[in-house]
Amino acid sequence: MKVPENYYSEIFDFKGQWEVPSKCGLKIIRKGGKTFVIVTELYQDNPGTSVTATGYNLAKQICEKKDLPLSQIVYLECTPDTNSVLSFYDEQYFEVTFNDTSKANYRKLSKDEVRILLN
Amino acid sequence: MKFKLIYPKWNKLPGQTTFNLPPHGPVVFAAALPADVQVSFTDENVEAINFDEACDFVGISMMLSTQVRRGWAIADEFRRRGKKVIFGGISTMLHAEETTEYADAVFLGEAEGRMEEVINDFKNNTLKKIYNFMGKHPAIETVGPARRDLYNRDLYNHKGVQMVDLFHASRGCRFSCYPCAVSYLGGRVFRPRPVEKVVEDLATIENNRLFVVDNSLAQDKEWETQLFKEMIPFKKKWISHTIEDDPKILDLAAQAGAWYVYQAVYDTSDYIKERIKRYHDYGIGVEGTILLGLDNQNEDDIKRLIDFLLEIDLDLAEFTVMTPFPHTKAYDDLLRENRIFNHDWNHYNAGQVVFHPKQMSANKLQELYDYAWTTFYADESQESKMMRLFTKVVMREMEDGTYRPRNRELVNKSFGKEIIRKP
Repeated sequence: MKVPENYYSEIFDFKGQWEVPSKCGLKIIRKGGKTFVIVTELYQDNPGTSVTATGYNLAKQICEKKDLPLSQIVYLECTPDTNSVLSFYDEQYFEVTFNDTSKANYRKLSKDEVRILLN
Repeated sequence: MKFKLIYPKWNKLPGQTTFNLPPHGPVVFAAALPADVQVSFTDENVEAINFDEACDFVGISMMLSTQVRRGWAIADEFRRRGKKVIFGGISTMLHAEETTEYADAVFLGEAEGRMEEVINDFKNNTLKKIYNFMGKHPAIETVGPARRDLYNRDLYNHKGVQMVDLFHASRGCRFSCYPCAVSYLGGRVFRPRPVEKVVEDLATIENNRLFVVDNSLAQDKEWETQLFKEMIPFKKKWISHTIEDDPKILDLAAQAGAWYVYQAVYDTSDYIKERIKRYHDYGIGVEGTILLGLDNQNEDDIKRLIDFLLEIDLDLAEFTVMTPFPHTKAYDDLLRENRIFNHDWNHYNAGQVVFHPKQMSANKLQELYDYAWTTFYADESQESKMMRLFTKVVMREMEDGTYRPRNRELVNKSFGKEIIRKP
């Protein structure tokens, strides 16, 4: 269930819900004039809150640390394939946008979109 | 100082045999309170709450998502009477943000070594809204014997038979199972209690039947071996979750009194079939726990799984539908895909479908859940199968001289209520 290292460039430490120390994989890709921020759930290697449950607060913490304008990034959540026997652990990428109340809206990326993004 | 500790009631699943077990969380929490705090405990599942009982401070301990709405309503009643209310327990942690709206204080995390601060704040009228100890686990050796003296024992008795006592030998879990919140609640590191502490706790339990509630005992072979060796002299009979699939450990578990285990049955493989057989080879019964509605299951898969259960000689089976409890991967996945259609926590009982399954409609999954219970117990009822397991444990107790006959004074009562017999 360990997330392969090729999913991220660095481990990002963040404060999860109730400020619980938490970790995620982080990869920042600049492509076509856009900045894609990909946060990857680390499952058992994340001692705290999941990237999805932290949502807006994680995006904000990354932008503050990396000096990025939150309104101008494309924020993506990745739940990797962990080679579990359970098939629903398939890799998935979601584009996350936040409304005025910081509530997240999700759009699942197609396999083609993921391929173009990562190649 | 008088502390009123409440365990809220919840609606039991329809059509299933209801047993009220003495709850574990509240008495473990109570053991962490300072010695000068007098505790009065009410489990609302077996007795009514007296909202006018004299007390200084009220604590509401919640384990299940189906308890939280009732817990909030109880808090409202006490707060209307001018009492301060603190919430704790695992479903408080899962539903913390909402719970703060109904609380004077919310305690998140494990209580050992932290309650002096809370009680002092209460006495000084400086109670904080949130006591956040999530992820900051107290040293495991500080977990002492639970306050089982707080139970009204007669209320956990069915027709003269005392219900099992709940007991824990470890916290945390190194597994991150898909629908489970334990790694969020107790951490992703397995934290076994020192065996001498477990023995000290066991020695305080008069009941000769236990439910070892640890998520899985199969996490540290050396500790598990030592634990079972130390449990043998107590001659207790116990239920637990998974035990290590190792002949030596299974043998020790049987000697230590393993009665039956809850074992997840998630596919129709020979591995599962052999796993069940190995428990039986050592005289340990198996209650299969079967989760329905995972994304990789279609209708045929579920029906095939149920057929398989009938082939592998399970002693009991318990079916649940996938339920996206907050702070699980399941919740995150279904939330992102906008597949959760019901957010009423009273319905998060693992018997009611609250999400759109991937390969069938929610109604179809609900039908299959009912079909699973009906089909598995078609030839022999759940009560009858339970009776067979019960008879086995009685026989073993008679062999080793620990059998205690029914309490004749309570044979006409079930969980504190008179049994009304049909003429």
